[in-house]
Amino acid sequence: MGSIFRRLGTSRTALDSVGPNPVRPVTAGAVHPLGDAMTRPTDSPTGVNDQTGASLGDRAAFALLEFREGRQQALGDLIREASPLLWHTVRAQGVAHQEADDVVQHTWAALVKHAHTITEPHAVLKWLLVTARRAAWEAVRKTRDDAKRRAELPDDSPDHPASLPSSDPLPDTQVLQEERDQMLWNSFRQLPERCQELLRLVSLADRPDYRAISSAIGMPMGSIGSTRGRCLAKLRTILDEQGDFSWTT
Amino acid sequence: MDDLTLGPDELGPDGLGYDPDEAPDDVDVAVLAAVARIANLVDPVPAGLVERAQFAATLASLECELMELSYIEAPLTGVRGSDSLSGMAGDAAPVEARTITFTHDTLTVMISLSGADGGRVRVDGWAAPSGALTVELLRPGAEALSVESDEDGRFAFESVDRGPASLVVRRSEAEGAGAVSTPVIEL
Repeated sequence: MGSIFRRLGTSRTALDSVGPNPVRPVTAGAVHPLGDAMTRPTDSPTGVNDQTGASLGDRAAFALLEFREGRQQALGDLIREASPLLWHTVRAQGVAHQEADDVVQHTWAALVKHAHTITEPHAVLKWLLVTARRAAWEAVRKTRDDAKRRAELPDDSPDHPASLPSSDPLPDTQVLQEERDQMLWNSFRQLPERCQELLRLVSLADRPDYRAISSAIGMPMGSIGSTRGRCLAKLRTILDEQGDFSWTT
Repeated sequence: MDDLTLGPDELGPDGLGYDPDEAPDDVDVAVLAAVARIANLVDPVPAGLVERAQFAATLASLECELMELSYIEAPLTGVRGSDSLSGMAGDAAPVEARTITFTHDTLTVMISLSGADGGRVRVDGWAAPSGALTVELLRPGAEALSVESDEDGRFAFESVDRGPASLVVRRSEAEGAGAVSTPVIEL
């Protein structure tokens, strides 16, 4: 898609063979975009979309059922709420910025296309996470293949060095001003990668969703949720080695 | 809070100073909250991602067959890129007029983009074979615009914002053909 944008962006023509013509008045759109700009109905079409208190997983299930009935508002809301979770899922696989953006978009498009074949609505959150992870792996594999092909060219320009992309998508921690934040992040980065991914995701989710997240990541069940879990226990242990910081204030 | 006083010597056999099987305490909750906050500082969700994702979902939900982008009017020979144009006009460079053709089976839609007031874009379109059509213009985070073509298949959106967009063309029932959509293009 990016290449199309670029090509379009640089194309120009003096041709104006499609002359002006009378324009009919704009009518109400037959298409309802999922964004907030869409007419947010003042009265709920169903009367049951009060989902406060439910977990993200519950809201995802609700959005799917609504969508199947032809109501798209809940899905638009879900995309707003859950895209950060998908973003961090994809980035945790080592996907570069622009590709990660595409992967998140495609994950939502895929959900819409599979909306009528997902048998268990409460599996939607896990389905999203698994789909995003797989697409992320695919993107990483493709990037590495491309990089290898480029690396074989003898005339790599200095502007495009042949080095493989870093597997670590995270920028440095200059944005962290506070010593306590830097210390936490440094400790966090000492955890095994899967622990980092797990904690990064559950930190964005509601506790009832931990099960869906851990199962999507393939971490042993029971490792998070009702218990502290090994990853968090390990992080706490590392933090203690770093010194005495107060976390609850 | 007694946990915090555990030193390395008191770590369990697996080197953990905390029991993974215990229920999360206040510090666990606070640390997780800090992880979420820092992760969003270090690697923030890109601006507009939500709108782009909603747009992708909207387009997917149309279940339209996708038209093929078959022809883009090539740049004039000797003019490389748009530097010479935008350089003169600065940031408020007028949209370069350009023509794009989409095809799907027997339907061909050509659109011509030109500058409109306020840095916006005018879209003039023409569909063949001629006949009454409804044409919708979709953009991320915005309400769909809809116009009817005249009997010659001509339609226009007089002034729309720049940015990514997709057109959806609906043929009348009599034509016996469903709706088709264009790939996302940059207006």
